Order: sequence, then structure tokens, then C-alpha cells
Amino acid sequence: MTTSREKILAAAQANKPAETPLPNIPDFGGDASVERFTAVLAGIGGRAVWVEGRGQVEQALRQLFPEARLVASPLFAGTVAVDAQTPTAMLADIDLAVLQGEIGVAENGAVWLPEANMLHRALPTITQHLVLVLDHRRLVATMHQAYAQLPGTGGYGAFVAGPSKTADIEQSLVIGAHGARSLVVVLY
Amino acid sequence: MRVALFIPCYVDQFYPQVGIASLQLLQKLGVTAHFPAQQTCCGQPLANSGCERDALPIYRHFVDTFQRYDYVVAPSGSCVYHVRKHFDKLEQTPEVEKVRASTYDLIDFITGVLGVTELPGHFPHKVGLHLSCHGQRGLHQANESEITPIRDGQLRRLLSSLDGIELTELDRNDECCGFGGTFCVSEAAISARMGQDRVQDHLRNGTTVLTGGDMSCLMHLQGIVRRQQLPLQVLHAVEILNGVSC
Amino acid sequence: MSHSLRAATFVADAERTTWHDETLWFVRQKRDKAVYAVPEFQELRELASQIKEHTLSRLDEYLKQFEAEAQLNGVHVHWATDAAEHNALVLDIIRQHGATRIVKSKSMLTEECHLNPHLLAHGIEVIDTDLGERIIQLREEAPSHLVLPAIHLKKEDVSDTFHLHLGTEKGNHDPQQLTEAARQHLRAKFLAGEVAISGVNFAVAETGGVVICTNEGNADLGVNLAKVHIACMGIEKLIPRLSDLGVFTRLLARSATGQPVTTYTSHYTKPAEGREMHIVIVDNGRTQQLGRPDFRASLKCIRCGACMNTCPVYRRSGGHSYDFTVPGPIGAILSPNIDMKKHSSLPFASTLCGSCTDVCPVKIDIHTQLYKWRQVLAEAGEIPTAKKWSMKFTGRLLASPTAFGMGGRLARTGLRLLPHGLTHATTVNAWAVARELPEPPKQSFREWYQETVKL
Repeated sequence: MTTSREKILAAAQANKPAETPLPNIPDFGGDASVERFTAVLAGIGGRAVWVEGRGQVEQALRQLFPEARLVASPLFAGTVAVDAQTPTAMLADIDLAVLQGEIGVAENGAVWLPEANMLHRALPTITQHLVLVLDHRRLVATMHQAYAQLPGTGGYGAFVAGPSKTADIEQSLVIGAHGARSLVVVLY
Repeated sequence: MRVALFIPCYVDQFYPQVGIASLQLLQKLGVTAHFPAQQTCCGQPLANSGCERDALPIYRHFVDTFQRYDYVVAPSGSCVYHVRKHFDKLEQTPEVEKVRASTYDLIDFITGVLGVTELPGHFPHKVGLHLSCHGQRGLHQANESEITPIRDGQLRRLLSSLDGIELTELDRNDECCGFGGTFCVSEAAISARMGQDRVQDHLRNGTTVLTGGDMSCLMHLQGIVRRQQLPLQVLHAVEILNGVSC
Repeated sequence: MSHSLRAATFVADAERTTWHDETLWFVRQKRDKAVYAVPEFQELRELASQIKEHTLSRLDEYLKQFEAEAQLNGVHVHWATDAAEHNALVLDIIRQHGATRIVKSKSMLTEECHLNPHLLAHGIEVIDTDLGERIIQLREEAPSHLVLPAIHLKKEDVSDTFHLHLGTEKGNHDPQQLTEAARQHLRAKFLAGEVAISGVNFAVAETGGVVICTNEGNADLGVNLAKVHIACMGIEKLIPRLSDLGVFTRLLARSATGQPVTTYTSHYTKPAEGREMHIVIVDNGRTQQLGRPDFRASLKCIRCGACMNTCPVYRRSGGHSYDFTVPGPIGAILSPNIDMKKHSSLPFASTLCGSCTDVCPVKIDIHTQLYKWRQVLAEAGEIPTAKKWSMKFTGRLLASPTAFGMGGRLARTGLRLLPHGLTHATTVNAWAVARELPEPPKQSFREWYQETVKL
């Protein structure tokens, strides 16, 4: 008996057009400045904060989130330890997650966050507030350059651009749909 | 240079003054256009309704009528677009290829072939230019808002060269008017609403004379203007360029 | 029922039509602004088009590569030729895990396959977690737009729905507060979700991974809390390389909503430890469309919805007037492939203005395909009989100069002599619903020419 797989592949082979070339994608260059990244991030509801060196991140966060009760972070001693086995109910209570971002994209304010930096895959979206810490030397201009720098996508990873949002009710923009209600990128 | 004038069927029957103005304007620019009497239509109404096959005799008749001319000029981007794009259904004989390549919208002919970019004349009115989609997007006569914010085009430039004219800046520079050939009756409710919205954009922004390069869109908009008894005069652009006064 | 009849009902509410038109035009304007700001945007469209065309030209090979890579990643790959098989496969996976609580993020494919009713009929609770999708799910309606599924509703409608189903305050229609209520309601569903179903925006052949783009984060939250992830994709979602995503992620959100990128561009390649990931690859008419040279380019679609936002007909007729999972211009060229008779009026629901083609980020020649579908439909006898015969008659008339001249004279004389009430009776003349006929001149141009020039 022919399987569905075989049927589909056979039909695709029979019906496909003559082969056309796969184009090379040029590097379009562009502005990779902190200023541009900061402005674009603000435009999509996020916020960039500058600190002098990674050592000052914790202090900056205390000022930004004085009320955060349950904080999860691999970067400093948080108030709650999270790993891949942390139960859902515990994750659901987390106020703030502070994670290391790998690449920032100036054209759209996105930050690449690989699974290895997440503690738990659900943490970046289940936390009420998200902070991504990023070395400003890891800013690139466009998505082309970001993908060129990715070593791979790992098991899971995401470009995160600003806080969770929706405009599904009458196109009114509301920040804080299902994921993090706010996003701060701490640049150093 | 042998130039034939193609006057779209509905212009011939309902808007003879547009044909007359086309002939006269060309004459002023040193071109005596000939009107072959056996011409009928480009076949677009049938083809757009899905009946391309029934339109083939019309296409052939069009080619027979115009094949001996160097240029075929029509005051309608839509018909020209149809000849250029959709006569691919005919066997591509040298005659068919020649007619397809030598059929021009009047404005393109004036600016592109004759190289005329300014016209003398005086038209002290606030003029709203309706960009017809087939001319604009099909024949690339004007910039498209989908691609660029810069509003530019052949007809806009020609009109701007007239003394005293002021062109209306519309909220939606190139939205379709909703005529769409048989669409105007098969989807009458939507067609009407689209036309009403276009007219309102012009009124809101001060247009007193509504013009364009395609009489079909203008016939539809004029129908709405007259039904609603609005203070707008509707003229084909060639009437203005030929020096009509109002 | 034809598109024109459904459209006439929608447009009869003039105020709501104005609102719908302006809201979507606003999205089109946001798109324009985002597009103008990228100097290489037109080049990106061309690249995206070429990548998609290339992929289609080697589709079977890329499907095999994708499957092999996904399996190496520990992903279970399934194949479904049609909607029924897809639905059965998904149900089967759910049952294998004894699950009954499903969270689902946006997937037009599962809408197309009518997965929800199938699962519900088998005792499975399936919750749409995208806010817009959840709203219409509670109202038991179909989405009216690819990206903005509840765009046909006003906040008052949403308020009533949430009051009824979520117990929000009656008459409170603040979008902020309604969204917060949905957040709380759906959090509970996310936390309890056993299986997460998602769509797929892009499937990368070289990595075997899938990419899902959302603004709300609902796909990530659902998938990353559930034990099992089922990603459902049409065969046309493939792209060859990871680097191709640079092109598509730059185009998608800008075209869709004018955002520089979606909030989450999530790459799912391997299941988390101790969890399962399934990918269901679906044909459901797509290979048939691939075999239609005039229409195969429709498979390049990345579901951004830009053609809807720009379409002057869609904006005034509403998404439901298309009565197909994918509405608007792209739906009008996809639907006849699925059911030519049922959707025969859709390719005619257009003025062929071409704006859809000009906004399309992958350069699908949408308006040309609409024109070509009309020819196919007429040949297949799927246009109204009256239209068919009047076109045959007109064809004869217009091929003959003598008949044409006589017919024109008759029409003009008729218009001049007959009373206005008769010539403008809307029962026989749809033109007259909102328009006056042109005032017939005494002389046609050809008569004038004969008399004046050619003496």
C-alpha cells in the first residue's frame, strides 16, 4: 500500500515546475549602533538601559524592579532557582527573569535568546517581566547579519523583540498579552 | 508616422468630446491621427468576465484594424493595458506583436513618444487627479503608494504644467474607484461604496474638477456625482489638456 | 451564496463598513511606513520570491531533507494527504498520551482542516490561545482575516462576549482590561495544557526545525509548558536554509502589521528533554495547485495578510463575505483549487486593481491569477448563465463594426427617449443602485468624425 508520505512526495515530484536557482543573499550592511537599537526597541514597547559593565547589572535591576519578589536568573543569585525540571506551578509565580541575550538586532530591537540561556524553555514567556542582558558589541544591523552569526538554533531559541503584545481588539495596542508584560534590555 | 486613434467603445458612444479632444490635442502637437471606422472594442469586458475565448474574434478584429499603423493611440490606459498584456492569447504573429507593442495610452504617447512634458494652457481650478489602476499599476504611468511615498507620474506632470492649476492632495492617492468593468454591476454594492469613498476623498480635500486618464472610472464616479448632485465637474484629462474652459 | 450577496449585507451597515475600511487602511499605512524605511525592501521581495520559487521547484527533495533532519533531531514526522487524515493523526497523538486539555496557537492550516470541531466531537477540549482566535472561538465564528482574526468585531462585541463567557464587567469595553481578563483566563489554560498544537510559519530544510512567529507569546507559552508539541504545516512552508529566514523575517511583520519584526520569532528544532515534538506535514490540495502552472505561485504565500489590508473590496466587504478559511485576494486564488463550484464567485470579487500584487512580499501575481481563474471558471461553466450568454452576444456585436454602430445608436436613442424610472430601475440595472447613467449625446464620436473630418 502506498503511504501518504509516498503519495505526497510523488505528487510534488510530478507537479513541480522546472528548477529555478536559489539566490545568494547579500549582506545589505546597515546601522548597528546602540542608538538605533535603543530607539527601535522603544518604538516596539521595550526599553534599553545602559550600564558600565556586567557587574552593575544587579544594582540597576534593583532600581528598575524594586518590587520584584521572585526573581530567576543564572547571572546572579536570584530568589528562586529554576532549571528544566522546575514545575509549572512554581514557574507561574515568577515576577522577573534576567537572562543573557546573545545577539541584538538594531533594525528591529530583537535579541537572540538561546535555550542554553533560558533556565527553562517557558521562563521567558511565563515570567511577568523579562530582562535581557546584552553586550553592546554583539549588536548587528539586520536579521541577515544575526543569522550569519548564529552558530545554530540549538533545540530551541527565539528572537525576542519587546514585550508580549496584541492588537486583536479593534487594533488597539495592548502590552502584556500572554508573555512578559515588560522587556528591558540591559546593554553593557 | 502613421498614427491611428482608438476610441474605446463606451467613449465613442457616450463621451464623443473625449475623442474629439484627443484628436485635436494630437493635431496641436503636430500629429494627424486617423480614426479607422471599422474599429470596435479591445475585448476587455468579455475577458474580464472570464470569456476570453469569446473575445478572440474582437482581438483579431482589433489587430486587423490597426496593423498598418506605426502607433495606435487611445485615451484609455485600461484598454491599452488589455491589448498589451492579454492579447498574448492570440497566436503571436508579426502583426499581433506589432500591434501590441505599438498601442499606447495617449498620455504615454505624448510624453514618451512625442517627448512633450509641458503644455501651454490655463486652467485655474482645483483639480483632483484620479489614478486609474490599469494605467498606474499596469502601465507604470505613475508611482505606486505600495512602493514609494513619492507621488509622481506623467499625467500629474502634464497637468501641473498648466497655468493656474492646483492639484488636490488626496488622503488615499491611488485607491481604486471600484469601477472594475463588469464588477460595477456584478458587485454593485461594493462598487458603489468604493466610488462614493473616492468622491468623498476629493470633496474633503477641495477638488472642484475631477479628472483622470480613463473615462471608464470617470463614468462611474460621474454617475455617483450626478446621483448625489455633488459640486464636482468630471472631465477626462485630455479635455483639460486640450484647453477646455469651465 | 455568492460573494456579492454576502458583501451587500456587510456594506449595508455603512457606519461599520467605514470603521472596517479605515481600521484596515490604517494597518496598510503602518505597513507603508515600515516598507519605505527599508531601502532594500523591493530587493528583499524579489529574493523571497526567488527562494520560494526555487523551493517549489525542488519541493519533494526539500521535504525529504526536512524530514530526515527533523528525525535526527528526535522529532516525529507524520504525513497527511488531506484534512481528514490530518485530523485523525492529531487526534491519535493526543489519545496516545491520554490527554484531553489542548492549547492551540494560531494555525490557518488547522482552520482549513476544521480540526477543532473534530477534536471537540471526540471529547477533547481545545482552547485557541491567540486573543483574536479565542474571541471568535467563544463566539463560534470563523476568522475574518489571516493575521487579525477578530477584525470584524468591535470592542463592544468583545466586551459582550467576555461578559458572557469570562464574567467581565458588563459594558466595560476597554481593550486593556479585556486583554487582561483574557490573559488571566488563558493562563489557567496554559498551565493545565497537556498537548500544545501550533501552526508553522517556516520550516527549514537544512535544520529540520520550524519557526513560529507571534506577538502574544502564546505559542511559546503553550508549547513550552505542555508535554507534547504538535506542529501542523502545509508542504509549502519549506525554505531551504536557515539564512533564508533573514529575508522572510524582515518581510513578514512589516508587510503584515508594519512592525519591524514579530515579538517572538521562535525556532523549535528539538523537543526538550523528556518531552515530545511531532510535525504533521499536510498536502490537502497543495500538490494539485503545484501542478497548475498559472496558479502554483499562490503557494509562495507566507500568510502576512497584506493583500487583505490593501484590498479595497475586502476592506468594504469583510472577511466573512469570502466564506473561505483564507479570505481576501489570496483566498480568492486559493479557494477555487479546493472547490471550484462553491468558490466560483471569489475571483470575481475584485476590480483587478493590482494593489494586492504590489504589496505581496513574495511577489505573487495575485490579480493576474484572479483574471486567469475567471477564464478557468467560465470554461468550466461556473459563471452565471445570463452572464455567459450576454458575453457571447456582446462578443458577436463587438467583432462587427456594422452591428456595433447600430447597437450603439439604439442604446443612446433608447436612453434619451425612455423615462428615467425605466432606464434606472435597479431591478434590471444594477448600475443605477448608486449611479446615474451617462447622458447620451446625439452623436457618437464616429458619427462626428464621419461628418466633420472625413468629408
